[in-house]
Amino acid sequence: MMQLSDHSSQRAVNLDELLTRVENDLVLLRELIGIFEEKFPRLLQSLQQSVARGDVKNVEATSHALKGMLSGLSVTRAAAAASRLEQMAREGEKLGLTNGLTLLENEVVGLLMELDGYTAEAKP
Amino acid sequence: VKILIADDDGMSRRLLEKTLEREGYEVIAVDNGRLAVQQLSLPDGPRLALLDWMMPELDGPGVCLEVRKQLERPYVHMVLVTSRGSKQDVIAGLTAGADDYLTKPWDPAELTARLRVGQRILQLEDRLVEARETMRFKATHDPLTSLFNRGMIVDLLSRELARTRREKGCTVVMLGDLDQFKSVNDTYGHAVGDEVLREIARRLLASIRSYDFAGRYGGEEFLIVLNNCDSSQAIVRAEEVRNAIATHPVQTTRGPLTITMSLGVLASRDWDVQLVEEILGEVDLALYQAKGDGRNCVRIAKRTSLCI
Repeated sequence: MMQLSDHSSQRAVNLDELLTRVENDLVLLRELIGIFEEKFPRLLQSLQQSVARGDVKNVEATSHALKGMLSGLSVTRAAAAASRLEQMAREGEKLGLTNGLTLLENEVVGLLMELDGYTAEAKP
Repeated sequence: VKILIADDDGMSRRLLEKTLEREGYEVIAVDNGRLAVQQLSLPDGPRLALLDWMMPELDGPGVCLEVRKQLERPYVHMVLVTSRGSKQDVIAGLTAGADDYLTKPWDPAELTARLRVGQRILQLEDRLVEARETMRFKATHDPLTSLFNRGMIVDLLSRELARTRREKGCTVVMLGDLDQFKSVNDTYGHAVGDEVLREIARRLLASIRSYDFAGRYGGEEFLIVLNNCDSSQAIVRAEEVRNAIATHPVQTTRGPLTITMSLGVLASRDWDVQLVEEILGEVDLALYQAKGDGRNCVRIAKRTSLCI
């Protein structure tokens, strides 16, 4: 079984947890990252637009979906940020949405690049 | 073991699918709640289900509610898998009919352990259903011949009469008695008598239609109820039964024995004025007439209400 290198302590993905979840199946890991990379940008864009419109219903639904995807790939801090955003939207806290979104955006800066790195390493 | 995964998140669905396939499950994956209900409603549909809470068309708790309405279906063990983890959510999910609850991101070992719990519960349910069915069979069937016992065949006759009244149809009732059966027991012993009764039961069942009823009414007496049978066919059908028994000797451990049956028959569309007890009395009289006329024959009950 291949091993993926632990690049730095600043990585967004909790790699140990993720590898446990996929049971060290690197083919599956690449497949999941592929699904994530296809859907994540669209969801993030939809969330940004919903926050800009103050559409709390859509913010709640989109941040919930993002939370599920991020936690599925063990992107722990970003998943927590999405969860906070979802909570705010559910409680109708429109004022905090922009800050909540910024926190989430900060957590996912460089995420796709990091995932690409794992994908490249995971190639057979 | 078949298992259903219902999750609109493709990543989560694929991860669950792969994890469960590794565990040997036969996985069916759908991406909305309505499709989940469809799959769980199929006659041979999965009886284990992992349901996401938030899904298009119908959410996870909604799926639980729909499935729990189907009381006649075998039990389905449903686990809600979601990132909604508050106490209120857990309560709402379980109240809707979920059996268990797993929070995302789930741990593979915990997931499979919980599914094994589900399988144990389903196995227990299967054993209980099987035991209930065995008891039901014993309560309604004769242990020697496996035909309906007296209580059940009379009950079936009663139900058939009610249906016949409603639909203004015609039912044929036959009461058959093996001729001089006592001499079989006296000459060859009760074990051979039992062999004969089992073979007669087999021939009775072979000579009636799958939706007719046959029961052991007494020691060597058999009651047969022919549903939706035209009265003009009553004698023909009774003769078929008589011939099925008389034509070929019954093979026993003490050699072949010729066995015959006398039958009393009644057919009527005019059930309104007749109780089950009256009908049985009439058909019994016809049977005694057959016995008096030399046995191994069919006699029709004589009543003004007869339609034959």
